Amino acid sequence: MNVISDFVGKFNARISLDQNLIVEKNDRYFLLNKNLKRLIAKGFLYAGTYLGKTKDGIFFPSFGLLAMIAQADANKTTVDSKTEWLFICGRDVFKQGIKSMTRPARKGDYTLILNERGDCLGFGKILKSRGEKEGKTKVAVKNIADIGDFLRRER
Amino acid sequence: MSGREFFASRYRELGWTCEPVEPRQAIRINTMNAETTEVIDRLESRGIQLETIPFVEDGFWISKSDFSVGATAEYLLGFYSIQEAAAQIPARLFAQLKHKIVLDACAAPGGKTVELADLMWNTGAIIALDIKKQRLTALANHLERCRVENVIACNADARQASHLNLKFDRILLDVPCSGNFAVDKDWFSRRTIKDVENNAKLQRGILAEAAKVLKDNGEIVYSTCSLEPEEDELSIDWAIENLNLETEKINCLGERGLTSIFGKKLDSSIGNCRRIWPGQTQGFFICKLRKRVSA
Repeated sequence: MNVISDFVGKFNARISLDQNLIVEKNDRYFLLNKNLKRLIAKGFLYAGTYLGKTKDGIFFPSFGLLAMIAQADANKTTVDSKTEWLFICGRDVFKQGIKSMTRPARKGDYTLILNERGDCLGFGKILKSRGEKEGKTKVAVKNIADIGDFLRRER
Repeated sequence: MSGREFFASRYRELGWTCEPVEPRQAIRINTMNAETTEVIDRLESRGIQLETIPFVEDGFWISKSDFSVGATAEYLLGFYSIQEAAAQIPARLFAQLKHKIVLDACAAPGGKTVELADLMWNTGAIIALDIKKQRLTALANHLERCRVENVIACNADARQASHLNLKFDRILLDVPCSGNFAVDKDWFSRRTIKDVENNAKLQRGILAEAAKVLKDNGEIVYSTCSLEPEEDELSIDWAIENLNLETEKINCLGERGLTSIFGKKLDSSIGNCRRIWPGQTQGFFICKLRKRVSA
């Protein structure tokens, strides 16, 4: 599934997923285990670990997939507790809220956003490369998806 | 026939006086995702006060919270689910869930499905059915949030479970029911005895299909949040008479199932069921059934 590995690559990461265990249903991708693979019925709506969906050619990852990427060597940005909540509410990350980054920032890359306990809260796009002139109050990472989506999608 | 006095007089005849109750909000820790002690610490550091529910492991009542417990990072990370205390009981009554093939026949919105997955540590497989496609969206969100990995969810009628061509070790029947007044303030004005009878008919259809797809010696846990005996003891009495099932003793909150209802004597084994009148929890009925081994 190129669409998934291409997405993971945007975090400068690689994860190993057994292609034989990935199924696509209505542009949604699911990772099964061998047990589920044996039992899967034609008309299923959800199965195993939801990986994400494609819409209009764009891949939208699940939070399960993001958590898998967070287990790997990848672009990760750890934020403070105030920024954690703002990020979950859909806000962008300002430079002053960043505690650390696993790699030097490179404009245009994706980065996972982690809280200080290491939980993956979502991901965003890095807006400035390291060394580029910026103020403390400028957006450093643009929010693309955050776990607050679970609340917003049920409204 | 409907209304508060009609139903209250039925409850009186069954030995319970109807009183206003307010069940407390409760959560259940998803131990596959987080350590219970860690979640408690994290929630308490946010000012949320918890009280251990004495009759379910990893369950807590919310004693105090200045904000919704459904809007914390820990909730959104799937560390816990919001689940009423009595509703946490049924999934825990199965023996040996790990590596089993389980049917959750009326699964949405998925609170008990996630609990089953948690008890199974994502091993084996759960086939989760629901007849309403829209409700499966809530189930899917719940499964994703709680990082469940062992569920296949299908839009299907539990009464057609045999179309799956599978046999199950365990079946959870948290069947559609009339509900109860403890969690619905308009319940008495909305419900009639006709609704109860219709639900009882539906429940018997689901029980019959479940008995078909259950392996010999397999287990069914049947639960409702209805107080009406037509949906509870009387349905189980019918099941053990017609479906090669027998009740099993269970050790959980609740009174013995009623064996004499409105003048009708039921099988004495119905006493193995548990009836929970509203009080510290909502009203609930639970029964564990085992399929007799075919000769």
